[in-house]
Amino acid sequence: MAYFTADKSKPPVTDNYLNHTSGIRSWLFTLDHKRIGVMYLICILTAFLMGGIFAMLIRFQLLTPDGTILTQNQYNKVFTAHGAIMVFLVIIPAVPAALGNFVLPIMLGAKDVAFPKLNLFSWWLWVFGFFFFLLALAGGVDTGWTFYTPYSLDQTTGMSGIIPVLIGAFILGFSSIFTGMNFIVTIHRLRPPGMTWFRMPLFLWATYATAIIQVLATPVIGITLLLLIVERTVGIGIFDPAMGGDPVLYQHFFWFYSHPAVYIMILPAMGVVSELISVHSHRHIFGYKFIAYSSIAIAMFGFLVWGHHMFTSGQSDLMNVIFSLITFSVSIPSAVKVFNWLATLYKGSISLNAPMIYGLSFIFIFTIGGLTGLYHATLATSIHLHDSYFVVAHFHYVMMGSAIIGFLGGIHHWWPKMTGKMYNEVLGRIAAVLIFVGFNITFFTQFMLGSKGMPRRYATYSEMPEFQIYHIISTIGSTVMAVGFVLCAFYLLHSIFYGRKAPGNPWGGRSLEWQCASPPPWDNFAEQPTVGDCYDFSVLEWDEEEQGYHWRSDVKHPGE
Amino acid sequence: MMVSNLSSLLATTTQGAPANFWLPKQASTVAQSVDYTFDVITWICYFFFFAITFFLIFFMIKYRRKGHAVVAKGPTHNTPIEIAWTILPLILVVVIFVVGMRGYLNLREAPEGCYEVQVTAQRWSWTFDHPKYGATQVAELTVPVGKPVRLLMTSNDVLHSVWIPDFRVKMDVVPGRYTSLWFEATAVGDYNLNCAEYCGMDHSKMFAIVHVVPQEDFEPMMVKLASEYEDMSIGQLPAYAINRIYNRCQSCHSLDGTSGTGPSFKGLWNRVKSGDVGFTSGEKLSNLLGENTQYGEPENYIRTSLVDPLEHIVKGYLGAMPSFQGQLKDKQITAIIEMFKHLDEITDEAGNITVNPDGTPRN
Repeated sequence: MAYFTADKSKPPVTDNYLNHTSGIRSWLFTLDHKRIGVMYLICILTAFLMGGIFAMLIRFQLLTPDGTILTQNQYNKVFTAHGAIMVFLVIIPAVPAALGNFVLPIMLGAKDVAFPKLNLFSWWLWVFGFFFFLLALAGGVDTGWTFYTPYSLDQTTGMSGIIPVLIGAFILGFSSIFTGMNFIVTIHRLRPPGMTWFRMPLFLWATYATAIIQVLATPVIGITLLLLIVERTVGIGIFDPAMGGDPVLYQHFFWFYSHPAVYIMILPAMGVVSELISVHSHRHIFGYKFIAYSSIAIAMFGFLVWGHHMFTSGQSDLMNVIFSLITFSVSIPSAVKVFNWLATLYKGSISLNAPMIYGLSFIFIFTIGGLTGLYHATLATSIHLHDSYFVVAHFHYVMMGSAIIGFLGGIHHWWPKMTGKMYNEVLGRIAAVLIFVGFNITFFTQFMLGSKGMPRRYATYSEMPEFQIYHIISTIGSTVMAVGFVLCAFYLLHSIFYGRKAPGNPWGGRSLEWQCASPPPWDNFAEQPTVGDCYDFSVLEWDEEEQGYHWRSDVKHPGE
Repeated sequence: MMVSNLSSLLATTTQGAPANFWLPKQASTVAQSVDYTFDVITWICYFFFFAITFFLIFFMIKYRRKGHAVVAKGPTHNTPIEIAWTILPLILVVVIFVVGMRGYLNLREAPEGCYEVQVTAQRWSWTFDHPKYGATQVAELTVPVGKPVRLLMTSNDVLHSVWIPDFRVKMDVVPGRYTSLWFEATAVGDYNLNCAEYCGMDHSKMFAIVHVVPQEDFEPMMVKLASEYEDMSIGQLPAYAINRIYNRCQSCHSLDGTSGTGPSFKGLWNRVKSGDVGFTSGEKLSNLLGENTQYGEPENYIRTSLVDPLEHIVKGYLGAMPSFQGQLKDKQITAIIEMFKHLDEITDEAGNITVNPDGTPRN
């Protein structure tokens, strides 16, 4: 059982997935899930940098009521680019495609996902989607990432980027669908002996729930975008009232995908956090089944609540009441998760290292993001807050503060495994705190902005100069956050070249990925391992020489 | 209990509360019930936020790891507690739902005998028609205090949304259908009306002011507004147009010479009169003026620009101008032409308007 123990008599394994083969082609056409995961990570972080630059342009534009650096047109293109890039290219694929691809098969003790070629195809689709987004940026799109009709059908504004961005999002949808299909089959078919459904790491439950949404919801956005393309190019009236179409129908189609898509973004991050909280407090996850079921519940309820995006669209009052009621159902499994994470910390042995700071940040930020969701589910308040900065703040708390911070936590957690190198822990903690503080300064002020009357997607606010102070504070916060991200990029890149060699199990994790070497060998495990309870940390002990954890010599491995 | 609180609040208070940490001032009858709902949720949020943050920080400090030994031992689950913290939020959200739904129905159900205003949204201006008086307002809406007002709204182009934050009301304005909202203002004053649904380039400039006036002043104001230009002499029209009609043009056409979505009005009459205007088709206006040409008189070109703006698009611009066919009376078109001819007399160098609607100097 060489895959578990640190056998000091043997020389360190030199063959791993990074050096097994070499050359650019060995990466671009690899079928190895780990390399595909790493390529996704590089691509997604590149897109994240682009989206982040657009975000900073937005923040600096709003420093004064009349705007500072952008014209109205430029601002509209910038916020559209920020939203579209962050949603379609970054947050949706971030955790499943980058971290999931790397970790999921190893967690299952498998050699790869069920369909490696489909997996590579998914990545290539992402690249094609990215290419179309670049075309769209060159042409210019100013519709907002939601492409609401009839504005997105309007030919007079002369924006030539709209068709490319729709094609790009359509292609990215298939990338997402194929990843989801792959994960569902992999989890069903490739679990190792001993791993029943309720012994899977919670990250797998979250990924599984996400995959269900990816497969069931994404085709709807695909066909919707296609209809939009057809309407815009051929002129068949579907959504444009001037041609007998219905613009609100578009909103239904769009949100039928895009609301579940919010859970595509948050569920995998929740899965990461379940791992972070448990591993870095060396505490058995509290209420495993409740957390697992809550992931599935969120995925299921998520399909029934899209109508809350149309409370002010002219939807009937009865529909509004029904959608409001159903929307509240999502808050219950979300609350259950937060309580269970808190209970996991109770009597834990909490290490405040970089990944854990992200994990704890997630709980704090998601609590605010979740609670402020109540205002939007509630009809009376939702009417006032709809399309205001309150909504902007709320969904940034969930999509950025939760999904991206969960992603960052996951990157830090699995970085030693991916690269075989340890990053600078002190800088890691500083960056994590900067991002946490900067984030809250940036977006908490936006709650007040919105509830006091600032509408979203405004390039200027000349008639409302009283809001300037909030915008200034928000911009200061975003600058702090940007410093945190730059620092983060610096020490992570630095670690690749100069980092200390990572042990197999630096944090004392119990799931299977911590039981193979860092970085993992080409085919992960020489033979399929047997697993026990992946949250029972009492079988591990610290090895000073190795600076990591390994299996206690007095405890038998499962299956032995 | 909560429901009775709500009704007592509604019954006892008529004057709205001032702005607080979270919300702007209350200036409509529904604002109180909306804010009551807001406060109920906020207190529930405070409770959970502070409880969760307290335990988070407390555990972080108390159970901070010392050394590397794996020592953590605690319960792996506790079904009664977990069921309890599933059921408790469930009860709370049902309460929130009921409070919010009642507030909402209150917000949506217009009372009998509302004063009706017809709202037309068009990129990037608001037009308010008062059918009862035959009066039209642009970028400003005058309503009486203490009387329910119903806005019946439609859009001529894309989606827009009426939002009056101090009234806590919002409703999308959709092309091809009517939507409505109602409010009853509780205090005399001026309130912001913003477009809340993204509608393209000048979305953030699509702004109007709601003037809430005493009931006894309202009717005379409307009667005057409806007929003021009809009795005016030609000489009075420029001051009228710059104050009453130009609001509708201002998001695209400046008065100070800077180019917007459309050309600036500054110096426009001289350019038109001399035919010094090029079109995207390559045609020049000078070829279309004079005997036996399309326009003849330069005034006809302006008229066509208003009722059929895409006939000739000025070079360098996109042709985003909507048609005002049927929206402007003949005398109003004359007023606009007079406004161009006398623009120097009614604006200053910087493009500020210097006269009041009645022609008196503005200070």
